[in-house]
Amino acid sequence: MKKENILLLAAVLALPLVLRPAIASEIWIFAIFGLGLNLLLGYTGLLSFGQSTFFGSAAYVAGWLLKHYGIDVFLALGTGVFVGAASAALVGTLCVQRSGLYFIMLTFALNQLFYFVAYQWTTVTGGEDGMPGIPRPAFLGIDFSEPLPYYVFVSALFLLSLWIMRRIVESPLGRILQAIRENEVRAEAVGYDVARFKLLAFVIGGAFSGAAGVLYAMLFGIVPLEAIGFVTSGNVVFATLIGGSGSLYGPIIGSFVFIWLSESVSTLWARWPLLLGVAFVIVVLFFRGGVVEAWARFWSWRSSKQKI
Amino acid sequence: MAILETKNLSKAFGALAAVNGVSLAIEAGTLHSIIGPNGAGKTTLFNLLTGTYRPSSGSILFDGRDITGTPAHRVAHLGLARSFQRTNVFPAFSLLDNVWVAAFACGPSWKGLLWRRADRYPEVGARALAALADVGLADKAGKPVREISHGEQRQLELAIALAAAPRVLLLDEPAAGLSPEETRKLVALVRALKGRYTIVLIEHKMDIIMSVSDRISVMHFGSLIAEGTPAEIQRNREVRRAYLGGVAA
Repeated sequence: MKKENILLLAAVLALPLVLRPAIASEIWIFAIFGLGLNLLLGYTGLLSFGQSTFFGSAAYVAGWLLKHYGIDVFLALGTGVFVGAASAALVGTLCVQRSGLYFIMLTFALNQLFYFVAYQWTTVTGGEDGMPGIPRPAFLGIDFSEPLPYYVFVSALFLLSLWIMRRIVESPLGRILQAIRENEVRAEAVGYDVARFKLLAFVIGGAFSGAAGVLYAMLFGIVPLEAIGFVTSGNVVFATLIGGSGSLYGPIIGSFVFIWLSESVSTLWARWPLLLGVAFVIVVLFFRGGVVEAWARFWSWRSSKQKI
Repeated sequence: MAILETKNLSKAFGALAAVNGVSLAIEAGTLHSIIGPNGAGKTTLFNLLTGTYRPSSGSILFDGRDITGTPAHRVAHLGLARSFQRTNVFPAFSLLDNVWVAAFACGPSWKGLLWRRADRYPEVGARALAALADVGLADKAGKPVREISHGEQRQLELAIALAAAPRVLLLDEPAAGLSPEETRKLVALVRALKGRYTIVLIEHKMDIIMSVSDRISVMHFGSLIAEGTPAEIQRNREVRRAYLGGVAA
């Protein structure tokens, strides 16, 4: 087995021992969200500043069905993946027409549009109060309302998501998306419909965001309005950049750093986002590849020392 | 028979007629050069042929089929591949991956696009390697682009075009910015490709043009002013005036 896999499995097993299971679950949920964004940001070179559109839409729709129709967890998950992908297809179709700054602003503007729909449509979403009372129905006698079984469920889904994402980035699609990131004009010239491929990346990213959104709603039993707001969109970009957008594992590490800091340090110090800000500045100035690059540089530095 | 033909092809950018009523016929299997002073519209003509730009008027026929207005990514699948005047590769990729991307695009099927590992396409990999071998870069297949010289990048540029297994190759100044030694190497390469592909070549270096071309078309201010064999072109007074400003003629 590869070293990364062993590390990951160890992390999945050890995390609930050192952190509360709810926080441990949140880390893996946010990591799934980050994996989806990273297909766009790291692999295709598209900065989407509207990922919470898909995260929030999926959370609301699946949350509604869970609450009022008592669907089971897997159906909720499937609904979330579908809603995430479908909303991403809608948003993506509009966004991929433009590139650069205009693309970013479009993802942001459409995110705001969804946000205000959720804000106004209080009969369904609860507006500012959020949509509370989302259950975690038992499945085959497993009681997911207990934190630990739910943690097992979430972490298994995280491992599945990671495996799927690894297959995607190692497939021809992954290479084509990177080719688009490297040189859009040439990718078009050798025979790829760049807009279509960007849309495909968007839809896949949306499906991952949707899965994360549903898991999040079930974890906290509520869909807060912020789930579809721009802060959530920003957070996932932030976490992914801190972890390292150039690598498959970057968003996972980013999610860990982000959630752990926000959950543990925030109770000690109300100004904790300051720490994140400092971390972000350090990353942008010195480690463009995030924690993953810092780690690699540290080891190559150490091994070069040992040789002398 | 002409494999690639344009009829009264024009492209205007505002008031500027970059390409103006060009009717050109490229015979299958030949090496047809397009020459002309800077700004004559040669690269614009290429951009029209490959679908990067839509023509303002006129039509393009490929193998007897009207392909006017076909977008660039579809033109590549028809068997029309181009190289660029400015090196236009995938900088973070290895040489092999650069070529692989082009080979996969025009491969027989995209089955497993989302699922199969990219290195499990033996026949795409083989074609990519063959294209690198054609330009003499097979031994550097695993190197990243930034570690090769400018001359080698020009060869890679060519390999990407070849990997698509095209029927017609459009080469836009393949020897741009090369030293005399590198130019000789590249000319030998183009000569080796001659006969295997129909080649349309844009070039500035007259000695190259005269030695490799079967036919030459001369563009000036967006229009064709002459066409013929290298010997005919060399004798043509109008060409000499366009090129040399009438000084040496």
